[in-house]
Amino acid sequence: MSSHYAPGSPAGQSAATQGDAAQSVGYAAELEEAHHDPTRATSPGHGGVGVFQAPRPLQQRTPTDPSPTAGTDIDSPFLDLFGATRPARSTPSRVATREQQPTIPQQLGAGDPPAASTAPAAPPAPAAPAEVERSPAGSPRRSTRVPHQIGERLAPTETGAAPLPAETGAATPPVETGAADPPPADTTPRRHPGERSDPDSRDAPPSNRRSTGRRDRTTKPARVRPPKIKFKDRDPSVELAITEIAGHLTFTPNTVTAWYWLPEVRWAFRPDAEREALLAAISEQYAGLAGFRLHLRRTTRPFPADEWARTIDTHTRAPLPDVPGTPSWADHLVAAQRHLHSVNHAEGQTYLGVTFARRSLGDSLVERVRRSFGRGVAEGERRKLGRTVEQFDEVLGAFGMRGRRVTTPELEWLLYRSVALCMAPPGRLSPVTDGHWERGDLLALTEQVERYRTPYGSTVKLVNRMTGEEGHVAVLAVGRMEPLEIPERHEPWLHFHERLPWPMELSSRVDILGSGDSFRNLEHRLRMIRSQQLDYAEHGIDAPPELERLAERALVIGDEMTTGLPVESARAHGWHRLAVGGRTREECLERARRLIQLYSRELRVSLQHPKNQDWLAREFIPGEPIANTGYVRRMPVNLFAAALPQAASTVGDRRGDLIGRTAGTCRRPVFLDLHFPMEVRERSGLGVFVAEPGGGKSTLLGALGYLAARRGVQVTLLDPSGPLARLCAMPELAPYARVLNLTGSEPGTLAPYSLIPTPLRSEFSTGDAGDREFEIAVSNARAERRMLVQDICMMLVPPQVAREASTATLFRHAVRQVPAEETATLDDVVATLGKLDDDAGRELANLLLDTAEMPLAMLFFGRPPAGLLGPDATLTVITMAGLRLPDLKIEREYWSAEEALALPMLHTAHRLAVRRCYGGSMSSRKLVGLDEAHFMEGWRSGRSFLVRLARDSRKWNLAALVASQNPKDILGLDVQNLVSTVFVGRIAEDEEIASEALRLLRVPVNDGYEATLASLSAADSSSAARLGYREFVMRDVDGRVQKVRVDVSYVDGLLDHLDTTPAAIAAAAGVLPVVADLEA
Amino acid sequence: MRLRTDDDIYRARLVYLGPPGYTLPVHLPYAQYGLFMLLVPLYMFVHWLFTLQVELFPAWEIALAIVTTSFVFRYVDPDRPARMVIHTALTDWRRTREPAAEQRDPRLVGSRIRIREELA
Repeated sequence: MSSHYAPGSPAGQSAATQGDAAQSVGYAAELEEAHHDPTRATSPGHGGVGVFQAPRPLQQRTPTDPSPTAGTDIDSPFLDLFGATRPARSTPSRVATREQQPTIPQQLGAGDPPAASTAPAAPPAPAAPAEVERSPAGSPRRSTRVPHQIGERLAPTETGAAPLPAETGAATPPVETGAADPPPADTTPRRHPGERSDPDSRDAPPSNRRSTGRRDRTTKPARVRPPKIKFKDRDPSVELAITEIAGHLTFTPNTVTAWYWLPEVRWAFRPDAEREALLAAISEQYAGLAGFRLHLRRTTRPFPADEWARTIDTHTRAPLPDVPGTPSWADHLVAAQRHLHSVNHAEGQTYLGVTFARRSLGDSLVERVRRSFGRGVAEGERRKLGRTVEQFDEVLGAFGMRGRRVTTPELEWLLYRSVALCMAPPGRLSPVTDGHWERGDLLALTEQVERYRTPYGSTVKLVNRMTGEEGHVAVLAVGRMEPLEIPERHEPWLHFHERLPWPMELSSRVDILGSGDSFRNLEHRLRMIRSQQLDYAEHGIDAPPELERLAERALVIGDEMTTGLPVESARAHGWHRLAVGGRTREECLERARRLIQLYSRELRVSLQHPKNQDWLAREFIPGEPIANTGYVRRMPVNLFAAALPQAASTVGDRRGDLIGRTAGTCRRPVFLDLHFPMEVRERSGLGVFVAEPGGGKSTLLGALGYLAARRGVQVTLLDPSGPLARLCAMPELAPYARVLNLTGSEPGTLAPYSLIPTPLRSEFSTGDAGDREFEIAVSNARAERRMLVQDICMMLVPPQVAREASTATLFRHAVRQVPAEETATLDDVVATLGKLDDDAGRELANLLLDTAEMPLAMLFFGRPPAGLLGPDATLTVITMAGLRLPDLKIEREYWSAEEALALPMLHTAHRLAVRRCYGGSMSSRKLVGLDEAHFMEGWRSGRSFLVRLARDSRKWNLAALVASQNPKDILGLDVQNLVSTVFVGRIAEDEEIASEALRLLRVPVNDGYEATLASLSAADSSSAARLGYREFVMRDVDGRVQKVRVDVSYVDGLLDHLDTTPAAIAAAAGVLPVVADLEA
Repeated sequence: MRLRTDDDIYRARLVYLGPPGYTLPVHLPYAQYGLFMLLVPLYMFVHWLFTLQVELFPAWEIALAIVTTSFVFRYVDPDRPARMVIHTALTDWRRTREPAAEQRDPRLVGSRIRIREELA
């Protein structure tokens, strides 16, 4: 029992297969199931996939266009909005695009401020029209993008100029707001659920026609009788107890309940003190509700994949143009959405209902009378309740639960989800943002749900008459609970079920007893125990020892109640149920069995599966009576607060690329937009990756590079070892990618002076302050150049020489004499050294010239070739194939000449990779990924490089990803405060490195989380197969930390191209081109 | 924080040992006597419905009540009070085997609920 700990519970226990990384034994199988279970629960057919149209040339529509379009019989200007494209819509429009591919991909919207993309319908940047004119290759493409694209949406409004006639067809009317984007592929008018009987009515005319034909033939019309439908049940439908929803209140004939929405709270990777504070706050809130009956209800909502896709499409101003024969941008998004659907991500929604008022007979009679006039609850009663209910706002809105009043649509959603328990949510609620349900629609849908039960059966069968969906639900009750140590060792006990890959529903009906009530209750119980003891004594029989023990415990608790704070005395007596669903009875029971097993093994909570399932299932519906009195749990409010069903583990933004899912206590998709920190949060864009070799750093770097490149971000990846170069061979990227192999480059490529760009006056504000800033920046650049050149010179000379004090002085002297401009070269430094009136100086010059003879060192000398790294290619991979990287643990004296040369090469290559980003516009999105950054440590130019990178990242909208094997390197560089995103992979070997990594994540050290890092991406020793995924602990820009499982398998072929294992490289050699072929 | 429920206090087994001065050979929970005492008149009433006469010593009724009580209490434990067991038996009784055709329960319909956006 005690060997299993809940995830995220550090407790310092060894947890090779435990902890946050931990999975229960059946977990792998569960995962499998999640993958093979595309239809369940978050539901089949729900959450349509938003299909995006590929960029395509404008279809010239002239007013005199004679081509008939479907539905033109209605004469409305609005029908013309998507007009001419209509017939083509059913066929993929990609074909049309391909002839007009611009050959050189441009990063469009270069002049637009990036912040504009944060608000989907923000007013257009003034630069937008100008930009359209500027890039002729891009403009036709832009103007033909789907109407909800930002460019079109904006164009007509603010420029004031009359839009091109060709464009008006594609442009959405300016009145439209971003939130109400029409689904791009769906031009059919929105239909209300009430209209679902349409097909029937449409069928009617043909049948009429048939019958008229028959009438022609036979003279006597046969009388058609409708088939008689017989219901055996006396009353096939029963009204719910709730009679009215008013604001956030629900009325039943006897009670009024106020409903609150509890937002999700972060649980994983928080210090225990914080968690305890949270639980204490929540307990206090519950204690404040003493005397009321609560209904805590958690339901789920499938992840709105298409909403996300629309968001990312809105934020992607210029995706990479499509390459014929490869998945287009639209296909890419569709694949991601399919993947999201298949992995069954459900978002939890927690509701808390407080039943606070009993209604008088008069009130409900008045309501009944008024109902017949269509009025409902009397206004006087509502106004009175409105005043009473404000106290709950105060109690629940504070730190802890931070509850807010629910809205009526949310209540309707809850009611529908409760009636159709564990069934697919109604389609097309989330998918079409503007297709929201009208008031009452969802409740009307409850009519379609039929319930079947078997006598003493273990499940209830629910059938949705409309969709034909059949579901089986098993309701489990929380039975005996052993003591739990909640923040330290165990998970919150009603959050724990989220480990399983299918969504479940929770319902807790709880009476909160204040100190008086609970003490009376306890005292009564104590008297009964005492009297029993007395009985035994009277009869001269030994009383069972448990009686004395229980009496003593009752005394202790009673003492706590009478002398302690209200929080300690308040008790929550109630019923806690979990509903598990399945498509078949067997599946449902199997899931219930797994859930029971998980709870008993890891939490020592015994879940019971009682009979009377239909009543239990009914208990989930707000307002319905409690099924039965069994399995009542009596607990202090602390324990009830520690149930925490609203705990969650989200991380990342919701506007970036899909990179995987959280893998801790629940599974949520993880999206990462590397420009989110700069564009929205106004933070630096420095991201750090730390892992042991094989931890998946390079693969993640490559995957992020690929995804960013697809979105049209200018990506530069520095990969000294070279496998990422194969990324450039991916067919969809190939025309826009190039590989730069430094080991075969021309002399001067890495000339240190030109690696640091001179700031431009235009980058600073106008006026005196700007002048000053500019001057400072220019001199800073000069100082940095000098520092870099000195460091490079020190790296080039043998370590014995470098260690001498005079060497540093001489270099400094020489470097000072050379003007620190971009045009200077290392040869100037050598010449200056040679001219010095000093033997040591001449010796140093000779030493430098000696190194210059080595082919690789030639890269440092001379001037850089022109146009080496233009901003043309979207993806550039810089490699140093064949370079032997030295082991930093070995003294420099023992490095071979080649290894010694690797150090300055890496330093300068890092700078070269970043240098490219300073070429284009400041606001255009850029990404630079730097592998093997630990070589930067120990050199002051290295630190200044990273600091500068972090500082510049905001100004230049540059996402910089830095991968290192040891977090100490980054911490040693002291740029931790500038880091916005951190990924820490598997670190199992060294405890010290693990604690450094935790420090980088800002997670408490020595709290047991080290074990979590060691257990990341833990391979199953019993299987011979390679691990198909990698896990990281990720900290996002908002400081949320979570274990994530990186999964980019939805991109076809990406993993094959990123596989860095030797076998895979060998296997791919035949299929994938080698690096040499790729070099541009 | 070590958190535990108060349930064990409510789990104490309270049994009737017998009247003062006389200890019964079997110790049964109080609830069992209570149920027995409810069942005897019930069976007597049923008996009366058939025969329209009341017996002086309802031997059959007592025997049946004993059997029923022990049958009910086979399913009773601290988490499943007798009330719940009886309730379940009464609401869920129809057949114990899974039937070929399921019984359709009434649909629960919420379409008549009135909704107003604001409370007052």
